[in-house]
Amino acid sequence: MWWKQVSNDSDVVVSTRIRYARNLSGYNFPNHITKSDSLKLIDSINMVLDKKEYKLFKMADIDEITRHSLIEQHIISKEFADNVETGAIVSNNDNTLVAMVNEEDHLRIQAFESGLNIENCYNKLSSFTNKLEEKLSFASNDDYGYLTACPTNVGSGMRVSVMVHLPALARLGYLTKILEEASSMGVAVRGLYGENTTGDGNMFQISNQKNFGESEESTMIKIKDVVYSIVIQERKARNILLENSIQIEDEIYRTYGVLKNARLVSNEESIKLLSKLRLGVAMGIIKNVSLDKVQGLIINSNTNMLKTILKQDMSEYEENIKRAEYIRREID
Amino acid sequence: MKCQSCGKKEANVRYYESINGKKKEILLCSECAKNLGFTDFSSMFSPIFVNIPEYIDNKSEYLKCIKCGYLFDEYTKTGLFGCPECYTSFRDRLDKILIKLHGKNKHVNASLKSKPSTKSTSNISELDKLKEELQNYIKNEEYEKAAVIRDKIRKLEK
Repeated sequence: MWWKQVSNDSDVVVSTRIRYARNLSGYNFPNHITKSDSLKLIDSINMVLDKKEYKLFKMADIDEITRHSLIEQHIISKEFADNVETGAIVSNNDNTLVAMVNEEDHLRIQAFESGLNIENCYNKLSSFTNKLEEKLSFASNDDYGYLTACPTNVGSGMRVSVMVHLPALARLGYLTKILEEASSMGVAVRGLYGENTTGDGNMFQISNQKNFGESEESTMIKIKDVVYSIVIQERKARNILLENSIQIEDEIYRTYGVLKNARLVSNEESIKLLSKLRLGVAMGIIKNVSLDKVQGLIINSNTNMLKTILKQDMSEYEENIKRAEYIRREID
Repeated sequence: MKCQSCGKKEANVRYYESINGKKKEILLCSECAKNLGFTDFSSMFSPIFVNIPEYIDNKSEYLKCIKCGYLFDEYTKTGLFGCPECYTSFRDRLDKILIKLHGKNKHVNASLKSKPSTKSTSNISELDKLKEELQNYIKNEEYEKAAVIRDKIRKLEK
């Protein structure tokens, strides 16, 4: 899975995602469409897919736990997970290309890469989208570009988001300043699951706020520049922590000790502990756990992923026992 | 300083907006400002002698998309349009919305259809982009930021 792999700048950057918002001409937007038109639209998309590479799944045919595990893998949005009436997903084998059908727009096409890999992500996204565009007519207009349900997305319809892990900056209290500066450049920095800015486990998404009146290229360059400067800041902050190394080592080894020995771990606690373990591994303090192992755990320890992996539904109490067991087994 | 909407006339209206403490400034000529609904100074004073109910603009409530029947009023509630044709039906209002959201009312045509080649994120394009940024900062009299960009350009040109 791309979210587990270790790649460029993985000490700080977790993954790269680029999405296009597209709509088919001749249909109303999903907020104003009839159910039968939505279903017709799914069929017309399914018809033009290259079935060797891509498959279409209706949300109604996916069970609830799996649907919610897709949110935990950052593949679909929270709102979309429960759209069993009209939602569908198009994906390739390794989920590096996933399109949501009938989300806020008819198509939200997304490409994913591990680490900071804007070019590869863009290539994958544009080659898939261009092929679709040969067969489907996307709503667009000379003055406004690609038309979207919400005018904030109109234009290129592109959003580049890079997920970064910023525990050292958060700890030293520099985050607010950086977020403000990024925002003055038209770049948004949000907490893990999109809109809320609490930054669960110190994971943040850096993305462009605008795409209208801006070429795709300049959007990508801008994000890359901002990500790089944030990465440099985070590394500096980690070096500052190392100056008082016994303190940070103590904290990280304690975290490691808890993860290795605890018998009950809630989802919330696992997010916090694994964030700290990730920092310890990335800084080279913990050497016998690999970064891809931690990245895998950060996703797999979530409620619905855990249920999917263990192939069983559980009460919260059982789940906390199983989570502790699973983590112990993985990092041993 | 030219108007940021028509790009032809001299700008003489400064429009300030503050969203979540983020300040934005748009420079417009008085004609564009009026068309976009930012300033119609006469209307600030004229309704004094008019009955309030008569003054309320009922039109937007009934403004409708000719294709899908979506009411403009719905947009003001949801922030979403009903169909691609709404962009044509509500064109008069849209310029104002787009300027507010994006500071512009036209998308760059270049990015449609003719996709940029992926190798192009090179120094040359970065340079162009920086130069454009520099111009913008100078225009907005943000000289400190401009100096940072200038230094970046010098570095790249070496």
